[in-house]
Amino acid sequence: MIIDVHDLAKTFRVYRKRGSGLLGVLRREPVDVHAVAGISFTVEAGEMVGYVGPNGAGKSTTIKMLTGILQPSGGHMRVDGLDPARDRLELARRIGVVFGQRTQLWWDLPLIDSLDLLRHIYRVPAEAYRRRLASFVDLLDLGPFLHTPVRQLSLGQRMRGDLAAALLHEPPILYLDEPTIGLDVVAKARMRDFLAEINRERGVTVLLTTHDMADIGRLCSRLLIIDHGRLIYDGSLAAIKSRFGGERTIVVDLEDEAPPLKVEGTTVMRVDGPRQWLRFERRATTAAQVISTVVASARVRDVAIEEPEIEDIVRRIYQGELEAPRGC
Amino acid sequence: MRINEWASLYVRLLGAQIRAQLQYRASFLLQVAGHGMITVLDFVATAVLFYRFPNLAGWSLGEVAFLFGLGGMAFGISDMVCSGFDRLSIAIQTGTFDRVLTRPVAAFTQVLASDFQLRRLGQIGQAALVLAVAIAIVDVNWTPLKLVVLLSALVSGVFIFSAIWVIGAAITFWTVQTSEVTNAFTYGGSYLVQYPMSIYADWLRHFFIFVVPLGFVSYLPSLYILGRADPLELPAALQLCSPLVALAFVIPACGAWRLGVHHYQSTGS
Repeated sequence: MIIDVHDLAKTFRVYRKRGSGLLGVLRREPVDVHAVAGISFTVEAGEMVGYVGPNGAGKSTTIKMLTGILQPSGGHMRVDGLDPARDRLELARRIGVVFGQRTQLWWDLPLIDSLDLLRHIYRVPAEAYRRRLASFVDLLDLGPFLHTPVRQLSLGQRMRGDLAAALLHEPPILYLDEPTIGLDVVAKARMRDFLAEINRERGVTVLLTTHDMADIGRLCSRLLIIDHGRLIYDGSLAAIKSRFGGERTIVVDLEDEAPPLKVEGTTVMRVDGPRQWLRFERRATTAAQVISTVVASARVRDVAIEEPEIEDIVRRIYQGELEAPRGC
Repeated sequence: MRINEWASLYVRLLGAQIRAQLQYRASFLLQVAGHGMITVLDFVATAVLFYRFPNLAGWSLGEVAFLFGLGGMAFGISDMVCSGFDRLSIAIQTGTFDRVLTRPVAAFTQVLASDFQLRRLGQIGQAALVLAVAIAIVDVNWTPLKLVVLLSALVSGVFIFSAIWVIGAAITFWTVQTSEVTNAFTYGGSYLVQYPMSIYADWLRHFFIFVVPLGFVSYLPSLYILGRADPLELPAALQLCSPLVALAFVIPACGAWRLGVHHYQSTGS
């Protein structure tokens, strides 16, 4: 395994004010925040793993520990055989890191200058640099803006530049923190194609955090869900879908406003004027049965059936509505 | 990393900084001129005082100009080279310091190379001019040793100020914001070294010789070069000790930096 994390923990000590005003500033009380509270997982070389969870769940803190930026306060980790906390500089040669919201490119200089500087920072031999640059220009279509100052690039172009920058030293591991945030649909699709390609062709191991479940659906066979610093799901996306995807919601538009409908096997999730949302399990009943019951008991204008979005399923897992056994 | 590899990377990163600054040519030229003007006006204000009072604590105008030029150059050069440390607070707040820690080069090198205020050339040039004029008008019997003391004082002064920038930056790892205490020693220190220390109270002079050795930047070496008596009556050998003191002050600064980075890694920002 290329990443091995065992019981990893990070506790931050913050100081909370006691009372208000100047006295409050003076009389501060330490509070321990368990940003990561004992996480264990392993990643095999060549895997592509999605790491998701609500804001503040501990995703970024985990990534920061795996890169050596932060020292853990407990547990063990190994990345490509190294201890990130101890061997940070050595590890830096074997990982690529893309923070979606912060570029590592030199803002006022042409993209090519940044790549050339990184070549020297990572000491990439000249011949290898030429070859890799040519391949990235081709794969990411960098040609049209290679000589444009980074500050003038669109977000999509900049992200392509950042990807090339992160991969120039051919790291076996790539960490991506929100790589598609803010991109338009076309740029997102292009980014995903590229990531799938380098994973497939070059065997790069990818760990990515995202809010966009389509990233996971397109790229990752495996999903880690974290909340309150704990891992609450480790398994395939398909397993979540088959386990929780059996739910359907029927949206009923009535002629008039009415109290929540009582239909066997369903739960009314929401009422908005004459419109009601009824959720049911496919195993318990069928859409046809639900609709016929509703039509028999109320005057119905329109009916629609909704399948659950993966976003919704994941959100409900981390809101604790769905119980997620680990390792399914 | 070998020293020549280090130097070549440093020069490359600096080159990138300078190219970036020159992208905004008009702004750059205005700032060079502006910084130069500030130095000249500072000195003109002092010279005007001499019109009313013939000397400052027994120092003639030429002698004060000597201090002013020497101290101003040392501060200006260190300010130009070390501005990356001065801006560390911003790097921590915007998260760019995280990026520094993901690269296979020491954080110190990357922060040092992250900024280079070329526009300070205006200030350095004006201070050099004041120093040249001072050398022309003071009555000094120049010996080879005095020349060596002058040059070594300048280099030592740059290192002493640089060590203060580094210690200030190290403190930023705890405070996040650049503290006013740091500014007091850097920008405040730049004024301190441009005037005879005999105008300050005893405890203050001792503090700036034995604790934060700003007295070794210009005052003590100038006593030797100008052949003035030391009102503090410290051993005369101290007037030649600037390089040793600079070296001794750089070591704790490096230690503070290491502690600071370590603290950052255990707490985040």
